[in-house]
Amino acid sequence: MTAAATEIAVRMGEIAVSSNPADVLMSIGLGSCIGLALVDHRRGIAGLAHVMLPEAIAGGGPVGKFADLAVPELIKQVTALGAAKTSLRAVLVGGAQMFALGHSGAMDIGVRNDVEVRAALAKERIPVVAAEVGGSKGRTIRVIPGGSVLSKEAGGAEKELMSTTGAGL
Amino acid sequence: MSTFSTMQLDALRELANIGSGTAGTALSQMLGRSVDISVPNALVLPLAEAVEAVGPPEQAVTGVAIPLAGDMDAVVLLVFPVEDAGSLAAMLGVEPGTEDALSALSEIGNILSASYIGSLGAMTGLELDLTPPQTVTDMLAAIVATVLASRAEGTDTALILDSELRVEGEQCSLSFLLLPEAGGVREILSRMGVEA
Repeated sequence: MTAAATEIAVRMGEIAVSSNPADVLMSIGLGSCIGLALVDHRRGIAGLAHVMLPEAIAGGGPVGKFADLAVPELIKQVTALGAAKTSLRAVLVGGAQMFALGHSGAMDIGVRNDVEVRAALAKERIPVVAAEVGGSKGRTIRVIPGGSVLSKEAGGAEKELMSTTGAGL
Repeated sequence: MSTFSTMQLDALRELANIGSGTAGTALSQMLGRSVDISVPNALVLPLAEAVEAVGPPEQAVTGVAIPLAGDMDAVVLLVFPVEDAGSLAAMLGVEPGTEDALSALSEIGNILSASYIGSLGAMTGLELDLTPPQTVTDMLAAIVATVLASRAEGTDTALILDSELRVEGEQCSLSFLLLPEAGGVREILSRMGVEA
């Protein structure tokens, strides 16, 4: 039985997973945040984490907020739905530098988010097949558990980053 | 989640009220028109809900971000829907959507923030300085989330002081937001003598 299709908004610090090919997991307006999609296209299972910051500090909020905690948690949730860890492919969207708001000398949050998400994925041996990161523009990510991952920049056209065959584009 | 008492929220709302009143007067003098100022909100929200409380996530807006330096860590953020940014530029005699329009909006942001922050400093005795404005046009969610992320490390809660200013007789409104870091809020409250 297939559940009804829904658009699932994944807001700051949240994680969502789905095995319904008609669902759309989406994070609207990623700035310095990273939308991390993990897809097992063969089994039609995908998840999306909306990561805000690179490293967790105690009592800092939900696990989805921090790259180092969000990656293992997202893996746990997609494999609990039936995904095989060895089949997982990652797509990253976001990590823009929209403002220079950091304290002087600190590396930009968008850049650090990208670095930490990739490091956490490497530790789990999950390949990144496509990424649309950096720059200065906000982006929206849409993840369809059937296999496709789409990214759209503010004022731009929607781009396909992962096709239904599971390959990076 | 960190929480604030009703009395503390009232005190913060009152600060925002006086700050936005001063900013509204400055805007009115600059344009030679009447400016309406809404009753401000003091929003305490889980981070996940903070963006939608400010506006529709996908809306195209121009944001002017002004980080504060001095006794309190906070960012001032002015949010103009793009059409409203355009009508404000036109009122100032610059072509909407151009580099000149963006620098005019940055300057408006600077002047309004100086008024707001000046009155906040006068009330609390905090030494507060503005750093140069940074202006971008993008999706509302990307702008608000990026500013929140820069001060969100140790908290899952966003505190937003939100005031709306509207130029009478024009399609021109803006949100004036003050986003203090958690320690900054405690500092303001203790200066006002409203401890938990």
